[in-house]
Amino acid sequence: MSQQRPVLELENVSVAYDSDKGPVQAVNRVNLTLYPEEIVGLVGESGSGKSTLAYAIMRLLKGSAYLAEGTIRVMGQDVYSLSKKELRQFRWSQMAMVFQSAMSALNPVMTVEEQIIDTLRTHRRDMSLSQARKRAEELLHLVSIDLKHLRSFPHQLSGGMRQRVVIAIAIALDPAFVIMDEPTTALDVVVQRSILDQIQEIQRYVHFAILFISHDFSLVAELASRVAIMYAGRLVEVTKSERLQLLGNHHPYTEGLLRAIPKLTADEVTIEGIPGYPPDLVDLPTGCAFHPRCPNVFADCMIDRPELYQMEDGLVECHLFKGAKEVHYV
Amino acid sequence: MSESPSLVAVSDLYVRFPIHSKGKKAYITPVDHVSFAIERGEVLSLVGESGSGKTTIGKALMRILEPTSGTITVAQRDVTHIRGNALIEYRRDVQMIFQDPFGSLNPVRTVEQHVMFPLRKHRNLKDAALQEALDNLLERVGLTPVAEIRIKNPHELSGGQRQRVAIARALAVNPKFLVADEPISMLDVSIRAGILRLMNDLKADYNLSYLYITHDLASARYFGDRIMVMYGGQIMETAKSSELVRKPAHPYTRLLLAATPGNPVRQALPETSNAAPDLLEGRKGCPFADRCPFVTEICRETAPQLLSVDAAHSVACHHPIV
Repeated sequence: MSQQRPVLELENVSVAYDSDKGPVQAVNRVNLTLYPEEIVGLVGESGSGKSTLAYAIMRLLKGSAYLAEGTIRVMGQDVYSLSKKELRQFRWSQMAMVFQSAMSALNPVMTVEEQIIDTLRTHRRDMSLSQARKRAEELLHLVSIDLKHLRSFPHQLSGGMRQRVVIAIAIALDPAFVIMDEPTTALDVVVQRSILDQIQEIQRYVHFAILFISHDFSLVAELASRVAIMYAGRLVEVTKSERLQLLGNHHPYTEGLLRAIPKLTADEVTIEGIPGYPPDLVDLPTGCAFHPRCPNVFADCMIDRPELYQMEDGLVECHLFKGAKEVHYV
Repeated sequence: MSESPSLVAVSDLYVRFPIHSKGKKAYITPVDHVSFAIERGEVLSLVGESGSGKTTIGKALMRILEPTSGTITVAQRDVTHIRGNALIEYRRDVQMIFQDPFGSLNPVRTVEQHVMFPLRKHRNLKDAALQEALDNLLERVGLTPVAEIRIKNPHELSGGQRQRVAIARALAVNPKFLVADEPISMLDVSIRAGILRLMNDLKADYNLSYLYITHDLASARYFGDRIMVMYGGQIMETAKSSELVRKPAHPYTRLLLAATPGNPVRQALPETSNAAPDLLEGRKGCPFADRCPFVTEICRETAPQLLSVDAAHSVACHHPIV
């Protein structure tokens, strides 16, 4: 892996919140590092904690949710040691986020140009209005939107165009690192593909790393170089994307997901679901949280939480891999 | 196609909705002269993007809305304009599974109330027979332990379990035909396969036919015997599932295939613009013309007819890829 300074370092990150039924650990001791210009996919089902993790990185946790332990560093800077004022400057200039729903991420009563200029001038006080206008044009050009839409309101744009505007705003200040939380989930497949192509295209000119959150395995495998798989708040596997083409040597949950997706062009068209349902975070199973659904379950799985084991190209948190090298985070 | 008449025969179906365009009343046509048939025991996957008219076709088949013109024949009965008791009776043969299992169940009713209602109303079951039918149905759709599940309210169930309740409720009337409108798209990936397999197993058990509406070609291919691709209110192509995926003849089908994640061949999207199709009544030509890399003059003037290129493979294109 690259020896460059990482853009994102997550060390033992846990996020907890209080619910009606008691305290919930939504993210549980997650370790992950992103290097410059890298795209890493974060895959999980609803409730697996992937969005909570994103909000924790952006320091946007709301309500009773809080960072229970661990450190989050972006460009070497501990996000949680910044003062509120510093955080405002840090956010968007160093790290930005693209949210799932473009309609609610945009202000319905401001034109596209006003929203981009607003973002620019809030963070760059010294930027003149004409400089900001010029930058807004550049940005729209970058995301392939006709400049006539500078004067458009969000409701006048299609879903795909809105999401492109949101991406333009996210990269407006040249952040080193962007989180994209299911940016294409609500869109049609053709629009989705063209936005993903666009993201890769932009990344060639403007260099930033992406943490790409999705529930769609095949999509993430195409886009990202590495994929982290989350289940019940834990990263159960981190692997190179190519390895997701093949069954074998994966966490049983990953394996199950791979078998659950119908393949478009493969000859055999059988699929198998994973039995059972994702666990309730208030009442997690003992040992490995996946054990009640796991086809390979044995006695240890019900008692002990597995260690993280080093594989050729990744990490797996499963008792089946006992004997492989253990990885210990501090 | 087959000797016996089809279970579902749709002929020249046309649905239009009024809109206001520049202060004037105008119409859009989400379903524009569509004809197709579904055989007994067959699954037809209907694929298209949002706005292509696929849900409108599903609703017309369910007779949730009344078609503007054309005919729908189900089990040799013309149901295009039936009302009142005839419509109630029709719904004994045809049921629908909706996309959103959070919206399609009543939050203040328990699972047993949801499923018992059609059992009583449509099948006149009472007492022990009702209880037995209920238990069997819940067990059949995998809602076990039945005694525990039947008294739960929807909010106590996961998305997958709710969709199973919706399926049980649809099956309660012993239907011949199910319209499943994106039944798995709101569910978690690990749950989807289970629901698709359940629908597949029920097909054999109940001798069911399905119209499976989806935007996902991969699941359309897995579940459907045939796939019908729609764009801008019209059928672009229809073929046996594996044939459609291997040998797409319509440029729009090719575009969909190229855009679907998991396709081993990555290529640039074969489209010339991403403009949405014009749905206004009275439009001319092929709805895909503005995005089509093979467009010629005739495409903008005359809408192509749906013609067979092969047995069970038809395409509506002036320049099909064969």
